[in-house]
Amino acid sequence: MSNNAADNTADDSMTILDHPVTRQEVMAAFLANDIADGEILQVGAAMPVGEVAVRLAHFHHGPNMELIFIGSRMNVAHLHTLPTPEFGWDRRTVRWAESYWDTGHRFDRVKDWGNRVFFIGGVQVDPHGNTNLIGVGDDHRHLRFRGPGSVGTSTLSTLVGRYYIVLNSHSARTFVPRCDYVSAFGWGDGHPEARRRLGLPGGGPKYCVTPLCVMDFTDDTKHLRLKSVHPGVSVDEVVANTGFELVIPSGEIPTTPVPDPEQLHILRTRADERGALRR
Amino acid sequence: MSHPQRRERIVSEAEAASWVSDGMTIAIGEPGPMAVIRQLVRRGVKDLTVVGSGVALDLLIAAGCVRKTIAYYVGGGAGGAVAPSFRRAAEAGEIEVWECEEGIVAAGLRAAAQGLPFLPWRGGLGTSLPDVNPDLKLMTDPIRGETLIAVPAIEVDVAFLHAAHADAYGNVQHIGGPGWLDLFLYRAADRCAVQVEKIVANEDVRANPAATTIAGVDGVIRAPWGAHPFYSRGWYVQDRAFTRLYVDAATAAAQHGDRGPLEAFLTTYCIEPETHADYLERVGVRQLLTLHEY
Repeated sequence: MSNNAADNTADDSMTILDHPVTRQEVMAAFLANDIADGEILQVGAAMPVGEVAVRLAHFHHGPNMELIFIGSRMNVAHLHTLPTPEFGWDRRTVRWAESYWDTGHRFDRVKDWGNRVFFIGGVQVDPHGNTNLIGVGDDHRHLRFRGPGSVGTSTLSTLVGRYYIVLNSHSARTFVPRCDYVSAFGWGDGHPEARRRLGLPGGGPKYCVTPLCVMDFTDDTKHLRLKSVHPGVSVDEVVANTGFELVIPSGEIPTTPVPDPEQLHILRTRADERGALRR
Repeated sequence: MSHPQRRERIVSEAEAASWVSDGMTIAIGEPGPMAVIRQLVRRGVKDLTVVGSGVALDLLIAAGCVRKTIAYYVGGGAGGAVAPSFRRAAEAGEIEVWECEEGIVAAGLRAAAQGLPFLPWRGGLGTSLPDVNPDLKLMTDPIRGETLIAVPAIEVDVAFLHAAHADAYGNVQHIGGPGWLDLFLYRAADRCAVQVEKIVANEDVRANPAATTIAGVDGVIRAPWGAHPFYSRGWYVQDRAFTRLYVDAATAAAQHGDRGPLEAFLTTYCIEPETHADYLERVGVRQLLTLHEY
């Protein structure tokens, strides 16, 4: 278990499967295991863990899944591999599309988005899974940190059946008691009916997955709760890097499973051929 | 008796850029129509409202052309999470950010295209977007009584896009697209010019009318490699090294106040090259030929 290539005492006989499992790979495998065959999986820009997770699920157990990258929709169960794109709409990936669902009719048929799964990042995440891609600071006209913008997350979080909050880092700067701005509505103030009251048809965030752990939400207050820690991570490390009081269930906190040999083989040789999650 | 001729719509990148005057609202598609964008920088156009995204928008901000952005995503392209000039100008309050989101922008563009004052949208309810963008109004729908967001029409003076092919009469055919919101931009705009990799014969368009993605744009710009340093579907991939050159220069200016590299970049690649051909000569044929898709 390592994020550091220097830990890897490479020799000539090593294969790609001998590289230590990285935390990003653990994240991708966890997400892949939570995705069922037949679901429609949409991945946006700058989300390598999501990119690999949907490929792993598709090749491992999801021949009837459909993958949507930016706006190209495909099923590639018959392929050996599908390269992760270097940039949005990289044709080396998009060439496998069966349709371009945004060729002028993007957002025109959202009534079936209940079967769609999405991945959302954030500059800030609050205890109820509301996320912020707008920025940090009191004055919107003079932010201390200007974020990249909401992308499509306000609409997708409103409509998709469920989504995962997936972050590249886990720190008290990201996990804050209250987001300065909310660009994707998770569970609002934490009331279990918060989404229904606003008239949001989508199911909301299911899990929050970071390089340290997996979190879910309590039923009654929709508050982030520790579900498992990745191998080599302690509960104390998670708590110390979370800027609000995380719900910690009593008893032993499970370890997030590492991919089994079959999954790892698919992950390394087919889902993430370029090694995006091993860097 | 002379036979009346159908008018061709081929314009140069400089002529298309001359359609824009200070203070206008323009839209730039994905991939960025860079031959035109460089001409806008060259002309020193000011106070634009730009519907756009990413590093192409960032370049216009770096060159001082932009007063207001209507952008759902201004990512950093070659590495950074946020494009450097956008980030700095927004933090300093030098540009107005019309805070929005992709579904919201699509609703506003669709309203403009349909001649409506607004269209309702559900995505964004419960978020901060209506708080930080007072143009987005919460409304009660008169049919079912639901609360929705009224998105005002996003009226666009000129839209600039990049595509694979067009004939001389403005019939555009994309390869692998159009992606993103390009058709929404076209429909919302009073005028639209499209850069293409190749102008093809009218007969080639007639051979497959179903492939025509936009019919009858106002201007067709002959611009092979015209999306460089970005990609052009069916032709070439993004030039990561060149994009990095810009991002590094813009980051030095934005984060360390060192505008030297950025000014040099803008001078070398946007201001001095009079035409798109001059620009391509500076990039160099060897570099361009490394950008193949397969």
